Amino acid sequence: MYRRLLINIYQVRNGLIHTQNTRLPSTKCKERESFAPVIWAPCTARPLGTSSISFSENKESSTSLSEDKEKRPEENEAKEEVNADGQKSTEISNATLTSQLETEPVDKPEDSKQVEKTKSGKESLLELLGAMKVEVTTVRKIRPSKTPRMSERPDQEPMESTHSMFQHATAEGSQQQGTLNPALVAAVSAAASTLPNRHQAESELLKQLRKHEAVPDTQRRADGQNIGHIIADMKVGGRKTNGRSSARPTSQIRFDDDGKGYTQDRGITGELDAVRRRKSPFTSKRLNIFTAGMEQDTLSVLGPTLWDIDLANQIVQATNQAPRNGFEEMIQWTKEGKLWQYPINNEAGLEEEASVPFHEHVFLEKHLDESFPRQGPVRHFMELVITGLAKNHHLTVQQKKEHIDWFRDYFRQKDDVLKEAEA
Amino acid sequence: MFTVIRSKEAVLQALASTVNRDPTASDYRFQDDPYLTPKTSSEFKLFSLSQESGRNAAKYFISTYPKYFQKDYAQPHIPCLMPETLEAQIEEVSEAALIERIQMRKVKAAVDLYDQLQQAGTPVSLDVTNQLLDLICFYGDCDPAQENVPEQRNEETEDVQDEPQTKKGRASKASDKLKAAWKENNNAERIFALLSEPNTHSYSALIRGMVKYGAYSKAFSTYTDLLNNQLKADVSTFNALITAAPEVKEKYNEKWELIVDLLKQMAEQKVKPNLLTLNAVLKALRRCGTVGKSQAFPVISEMRALSIDPSLASYNHLLSIFYKPGAPFQGQTDILQEVMNEVSGKSFTPQDPDDAQFFITAVRICLDTKDIEQAYRVHELLGVGENWRLLGNDFQQNIYHARFFSLLCMMENIDVVLKWYRDLVPSVYYPSSNVMRDLLQALDTDNRLDLIPQIWKDLKQLGHGNRQTLVEELLTLMAREKQNQEVQETFAECALDIKKMYDTGDRGKVMMSWTAGSLSDLVSVLLAAQRRQDAWEILKLFKTHNRVPSEELLDKFLTCIKESGDVNQALELVQISAGFCLPGTPKLIQRVQQEFLLSEQQKSMLSDLEIQTFNSD
Repeated sequence: MYRRLLINIYQVRNGLIHTQNTRLPSTKCKERESFAPVIWAPCTARPLGTSSISFSENKESSTSLSEDKEKRPEENEAKEEVNADGQKSTEISNATLTSQLETEPVDKPEDSKQVEKTKSGKESLLELLGAMKVEVTTVRKIRPSKTPRMSERPDQEPMESTHSMFQHATAEGSQQQGTLNPALVAAVSAAASTLPNRHQAESELLKQLRKHEAVPDTQRRADGQNIGHIIADMKVGGRKTNGRSSARPTSQIRFDDDGKGYTQDRGITGELDAVRRRKSPFTSKRLNIFTAGMEQDTLSVLGPTLWDIDLANQIVQATNQAPRNGFEEMIQWTKEGKLWQYPINNEAGLEEEASVPFHEHVFLEKHLDESFPRQGPVRHFMELVITGLAKNHHLTVQQKKEHIDWFRDYFRQKDDVLKEAEA
Repeated sequence: MFTVIRSKEAVLQALASTVNRDPTASDYRFQDDPYLTPKTSSEFKLFSLSQESGRNAAKYFISTYPKYFQKDYAQPHIPCLMPETLEAQIEEVSEAALIERIQMRKVKAAVDLYDQLQQAGTPVSLDVTNQLLDLICFYGDCDPAQENVPEQRNEETEDVQDEPQTKKGRASKASDKLKAAWKENNNAERIFALLSEPNTHSYSALIRGMVKYGAYSKAFSTYTDLLNNQLKADVSTFNALITAAPEVKEKYNEKWELIVDLLKQMAEQKVKPNLLTLNAVLKALRRCGTVGKSQAFPVISEMRALSIDPSLASYNHLLSIFYKPGAPFQGQTDILQEVMNEVSGKSFTPQDPDDAQFFITAVRICLDTKDIEQAYRVHELLGVGENWRLLGNDFQQNIYHARFFSLLCMMENIDVVLKWYRDLVPSVYYPSSNVMRDLLQALDTDNRLDLIPQIWKDLKQLGHGNRQTLVEELLTLMAREKQNQEVQETFAECALDIKKMYDTGDRGKVMMSWTAGSLSDLVSVLLAAQRRQDAWEILKLFKTHNRVPSEELLDKFLTCIKESGDVNQALELVQISAGFCLPGTPKLIQRVQQEFLLSEQQKSMLSDLEIQTFNSD
């Protein structure tokens, strides 16, 4: 079921990208718009949720609203188109919220087509932008459909959409990044349009987004190329790492749509921003109970106790110790001592000789003590023997000594014969 | 001079790292004997257990009759191949004998010997007494159940001179963990009371024993006692107390305050926490409700500051704190993602028995949240380094793979699902019938029903050929839509194969019984493949199994007969329909009359039937 939905969405998306790239709003927008209702349903909670938050803000700042309106009549006019579209969408989403089905808003494409007919020039561009909101929602949908509970965090909405959008932007390749971002703007206006004073809300939301866009930049300056750091530090920035490149086109296109007016009301958005720019929980503050360089009192350590042995045993029991191939089985046998060790250097099998220095092996003259004659053929013979022994690597020092001892005994037994021969 | 110190397994490890898993091969354990290659999960269980029990039986005989196994073939000597000495060698009453009994883990014997030494007035050193306390507390003042003892030892041991208490130990082994409780004034407490100057180790042993055997409040009072004696506790004592903390307090806040208090005391006494402390705190936080969610990350940060890196068990506890099974998810989608960001690409070594729970928990959350991306990351993590060891035993592996594969079936394109299916089944995973049903649904979703005959073969192999619901679903799927001729042909073969399954029953396993639905599905499949004769045979089964065919089916059948123009069969069909007293019979008769060229005799027969049915109405 989920996948079916997703497949639909991908189809829509692909169609969309196509239109955006070729930039032929008049013809292909229709096609895309006809897709639009299919994806409205699951994203309903989003715009509504956002609006509820910004709604409260707007109450506070409602005084400045009228000024805003006066300042930018043309923009408002322009935006109204988008908003009208957005308004419609939210209506539809309201309708579908109850049904949760794709079949509901069948009448939508006709509506939008009718609207479209009346437009031209800049309006068609705006139409395109408004339509991209479809794109936004499709992308957004991918997550919420799997994880419906995400809608319970209304204050993160615009961000959420950017995240998923950027994730998918990378997947689709960079060519589409430029066009994705106006979709973001459109999404914001859609969200804002649910409010009475929507321009105010919209500009606030957009400013919000811009702040986030600025965040990775500063982050980059601070951390250089260390993306991992960014990820660790802040979840928002981290996920937007590839959004950085696409951040700039966003603003460009956004300014086409709505030139000025983003720079007001920093205070409120700043507050919101702080809430939103949640750090990775793993870098949260610590309890501050222990001090880092704490010296441990040295307790008498008696080697592993029964408890330690049991812990090790439990760990072994809990984990998979079965060998996966013959080599691993041999490793196991080696550890158990059942298998001759594979040589890892040329001293394999020399365990008992490991502590014997080499000169004990080579300089064996000291063993030819008084029991051998100082000179003569026996001495000569024994010198040959120790030379041979010195070069023999098969015998241990003990064996070499035994060898010499054997000759000592032998010559002692043959003492008579030797004396007779005057050797 | 630079020498690289390598472990003695270095060469083998290097060689082992060159071997990749072969998805077409069974587990290494079963490669010795191709005959014993398991094909179903039950066979897998049976074969692996029998291998293990064979080993245990051999060990049992060696340790029971050590005198027959004294010949040392190995050169050089291999200690682990020789029988272990299970009988105490030192008979006299001495401290050495006590140490020997402690090492052999004979609790009762050691306690008796200690008492004898006390009566004789021989002093026993504090260290040895502490070891004795460890032993008693560890086993809760009972002799340990002997390991590697075959199940049927009761019959066998009648003539064996073996110690009787092992028999008792064996019998109580299953209930050991449930029933064993800390008894008031047991030997541990008695011996502890005899100590003139118990040290930290003595207290540690006692407190750990008390916690292990459920005397939680007693453990805390012993700890107070320790503080009163101007002693310091050690890490393991604190770990045990932290484990016990949620047991002695009711409210979440109180539990957490107690844990914080313990941690503060650790800091005061300059005891450095270890990984197990971290895991104990996190495990305790699992039972602290909302407090757990707010405090879990500060705890981890605290331990990080002490350069204690979390193990997989820590992450497992963390996930369990935030994702309670069955509870709705309250916007913690990111926690899993954050955890995965932390652990991705790292190789973990087992450090905590709970480490093996991580993968199951993570994949459960992925399944609950339908988050395929994270599931892939979890699976990827499994492939890093030695992490596969941390997947746990066969049972846990099975759970993990079942969850992973269900998620795939739910979320992925059928081609991807099948790729994983070929990779995992059956070399590491034997899917249950439920998971196979998920796979069928995935096939259905993506319109790849043509693969059903293949899946049926696998199903048979996996031993699910006699799962009635599954087989019926298979038939329904095959019968539902008309496919192209080739596919229909394979469907028909498959359907006949399924019919065989119904007929024979599989070696005394549960026989499946025909239902009207499955029979008519079967008939439809065969008709669609133009196998009228086979279908006719099946149609007769309706009667033998007392099932009633639907009117549409007979209608369909008639259409099929018409194509071949077999008048006799059409008449027989009508008769069958009449036999079932179906209300649609007159309609069938009408159709036959209109659509077939009938002889006079046949016509009269039909009109007879018509009158009959009319009368019966």
